[in-house]
Amino acid sequence: MAEPLINRADPESEEAEAEGALAFLRPRFAEERFPWIQVWGYGGSLVLTLGAYFSVVRHVLAPQFLVAAILAMAAGQAALQLGVFMHLRESRGLSWQIVPLALAFFTALGMIGMSIWIMAFKSGVS
Amino acid sequence: MPPFARYLLHTLFPPDVLRPTEVGADVLILATGVIIMVVMTRRHKWRHLWTEWLTTVDHKKIAVMYLIAAIAMLFRGGVDALMIRTNLALPGSPVISASEYNAVFTTHGTIMIFFMAMPFIFALFNAVIPLMIGSRDVAFPRLNAMSFWLFAFGALLFNMSFVIGGSPNAGWTAYPPLTERVFNPGPGENFYFLSLLIAGIGTTMTGINFVVTSLRMRAPGMTLMKMPMFVWSALATSTLILFAFPPLTVALLMSLIDRLFGSSFFTLGHGGMPMMYVNLFWLFGHPEVYIVVLPAFGIFSEVVPTFSRKRLFGYETMVLSIVAIMLLAYGTWVHHFFTMGAGPTVNAFFGLSTMLIAIPTGVKIFNWIFTMWGGRIRTTVAMLYQLAFIPTFVVGGASGIMLATIPADYQFHNSYFLVAHFHNVLIGGTLFGLLSGMYYWWPKMFGRKLDERQGKWAFWLFLTGFWITFGPQYLLGLKGMTRRMYTYPLGYGWHTLNVISTLGAFVMGAGFLVLVYNIVYSMRNGERDLTGDPWDGRTLEWALPSPAPEYNFARIPVVYERDAYWDMKEKGQTLANSLTVRDVHDLELPRNSSLPFFLGLSFFVVGFGMVFSWWIIAGLGFAGVAACLVAVGFDYRGPKRVDAAFIRGTEVALGRLRA
Amino acid sequence: MSLELAPEPGRREDLPLELSDEQESVKITGFWMFLVTDVLIFASLFSAYAVYRPRVATGPGPLELFHFGPALLETLLLLTSSFTVGIAIYEMRKGRPGGVMAWTIATLALGAAFVFLEIHEFASYAALGATWHQSAFLSAFYVLVGTHGAHVSFGILWAVTLLVQLARRGLTPVTARKLYTFSLYWHFLDVVWVFIFTVVYLMGKIA
Repeated sequence: MAEPLINRADPESEEAEAEGALAFLRPRFAEERFPWIQVWGYGGSLVLTLGAYFSVVRHVLAPQFLVAAILAMAAGQAALQLGVFMHLRESRGLSWQIVPLALAFFTALGMIGMSIWIMAFKSGVS
Repeated sequence: MPPFARYLLHTLFPPDVLRPTEVGADVLILATGVIIMVVMTRRHKWRHLWTEWLTTVDHKKIAVMYLIAAIAMLFRGGVDALMIRTNLALPGSPVISASEYNAVFTTHGTIMIFFMAMPFIFALFNAVIPLMIGSRDVAFPRLNAMSFWLFAFGALLFNMSFVIGGSPNAGWTAYPPLTERVFNPGPGENFYFLSLLIAGIGTTMTGINFVVTSLRMRAPGMTLMKMPMFVWSALATSTLILFAFPPLTVALLMSLIDRLFGSSFFTLGHGGMPMMYVNLFWLFGHPEVYIVVLPAFGIFSEVVPTFSRKRLFGYETMVLSIVAIMLLAYGTWVHHFFTMGAGPTVNAFFGLSTMLIAIPTGVKIFNWIFTMWGGRIRTTVAMLYQLAFIPTFVVGGASGIMLATIPADYQFHNSYFLVAHFHNVLIGGTLFGLLSGMYYWWPKMFGRKLDERQGKWAFWLFLTGFWITFGPQYLLGLKGMTRRMYTYPLGYGWHTLNVISTLGAFVMGAGFLVLVYNIVYSMRNGERDLTGDPWDGRTLEWALPSPAPEYNFARIPVVYERDAYWDMKEKGQTLANSLTVRDVHDLELPRNSSLPFFLGLSFFVVGFGMVFSWWIIAGLGFAGVAACLVAVGFDYRGPKRVDAAFIRGTEVALGRLRA
Repeated sequence: MSLELAPEPGRREDLPLELSDEQESVKITGFWMFLVTDVLIFASLFSAYAVYRPRVATGPGPLELFHFGPALLETLLLLTSSFTVGIAIYEMRKGRPGGVMAWTIATLALGAAFVFLEIHEFASYAALGATWHQSAFLSAFYVLVGTHGAHVSFGILWAVTLLVQLARRGLTPVTARKLYTFSLYWHFLDVVWVFIFTVVYLMGKIA
């Protein structure tokens, strides 16, 4: 049985792409001695959750601002999970997952917003 | 008779499936099945079938299985169409009853979209995408086989409704309340929901597979902007699948649990809202339109340069427009239900977004024309379909713009004008594209060309039949005939046009028969393709022998130019003359697996049990699914090693390596 | 000039274990694509929930039905489990299978507690007569939250099979890749839950 070949370098194509318009997909890796990022991420998510919870329980804002505020906090938590825990930028070769994932979140927002808009049957007389 | 047997007989064979036409078809199905069994047993082919086909993970063989399924389904959908047309030509004495007619147009639409167009597309993706990008297989070969078997068993479940239990009958869109259990108590709609759910899981996995294949499996040097356009179209299509199938899955699941477990999503009472189903369905349904047409665009972008002997005009704008179509496709779904009354602002928004799609589509049409401009055009069958596609699709697109004009749509909605429009784009776009691709890549798949003269007969019959069928339907729509009516009174002036339309449908049917004859004839007598490059092609798949060996590339070449193989030929360096014995090493290939087949079978059992609410059977199926998944997890057999001596032998036999 | 041939892809020792093998790293990209489809599954369910929220028919609305206690506890359990699986991956990167094992088991315990609480919560609503038959709102609620719960339950079973594989085979590119995709799955469920907590429970209490 032949030994598997060991290549150190990325295949040429991906290097070429990473130089150009796709540079934002170049993977990044974090090195750490103690899982500080995870601890901070956990702390951050707890703060955001409890913040949202207490701002609702205490009615700190008018309803529409309150909704906006807690949705923003939820988005913050999502970013935290993706960035801290899910190693979003890591890959062998380019981090292709970023593009469809961004598109998915954009589509999700559009789908929910548009569905509410369409199913309200309220945009004028029909 | 014991009560259990009576219950079984009554459930499996209600009066719906005991009409003379159905029983006649049953007898034929049974007879065909027996003949196949006998022939297979006589020739001792079962083992071969199992080891070489049913358990294969080779993308080239999966492509062949998809293609066979697609052509079989084209036949069934076509027979449904002829039944519809026969009824409408004889308004005085309809051949099939109203309820039968409902079932027939439902299965016609569902089969043509989900079980004909989709597998046909996947057949071509599987057949050529890995070869075009210089890869030994797709990214996930075993998952690919799972996708196929989920599709195949989903299709089996759907088609079974014809023989036992009764066919679905609420249209291919299955709108509630037509599907609500109170109004539609039989198992027919359960067949629809479950088979589409099962096939839909498979399709989603195919989408994942081809996105990753085109992003991660390309040969070194083939950057995104050097990918052949067909690969771009596969990437865009697969991305759309990832984004479009989830809403369908959710809509189907909600309908199913409404029917089976009494939830209140789309019911008329309890605050349910049937229109929400429509919203979710078309969130899938509109992207689906582009899922089936983008591959055709990709095929034409390969066929036109090859047969014009010019490089594709405006490659960058082609890429840009395919991406634009992909994005816009997701923002137009409301145009399928303008008349729902969401209001003028909503309708205006979606009317505009719909019209916007005409821009990138127009760009593509012009680019194909400019590619042909000044080229040396060869009118092969593949090219003829492309030449017919341009005017046909433009007419279909223009009538689409008319439908997108909201006030006018209130008149066109659900009329034969609409029927003519979407057949115009689906046949003129998708089917012509797929047939073009089939003729183009057939030698690569099977090693023989399809006979060109017979192919031209089939083409002309299809094209003229198409226009005779659907031209009159535009006029019928304008005269007020609505879709899905099984008969009509004679005094409306619809009869003559309907008779013409029916004649056209039978001409198309004749075209199909010629096509099948063409395939059967060419399997034995077609011109052998010994060079691997019968059309003087431009992309990498033509660098390989026809059909490609199991490992595709003994060595994968580095790519420098967009039309990679054309570039190699110009430099006088191709795979056919460049390899030396020293270049060939041992290779690893994915190992065959029976798990995909059993996973599909388990899902089939789940579906079958749930259709009739036989929970023990469904539970057994779920146990089978779980067992297959665990088995997948614990399957640590490594890849199959193909040793260099074997590859050298194969390459020598193919004349690609000096011994 | 002769045709240039590509080298076969080999191991890359400079990358983390789960990415070192080309084949296995491709599967991670594939799993991200699966998550894309799952984002849209949940987006569809959220759309339905948003549309159906006012359609309570004769049943209870969110204001009467929900209690903060269990929902907040479920949230904290799931957030903590997301942290523990994050540490499991950290341990994996350090090459310590024992740590991976321990932190994954902790994750599973937290996940199981979450599922138990959620079943309990559903049962308590059903005991009040608030079944999904009652209203479109309840249908959407049960299916949205239940789909998430089913994902968590599936994740627990999946991770159990992974632990068996880890115990048998230790950390290899294959087991590492599997654990890594499991962690992606688990964090993703946490993201979904945060939105469920916000949209279903918190916004349910804002009049």
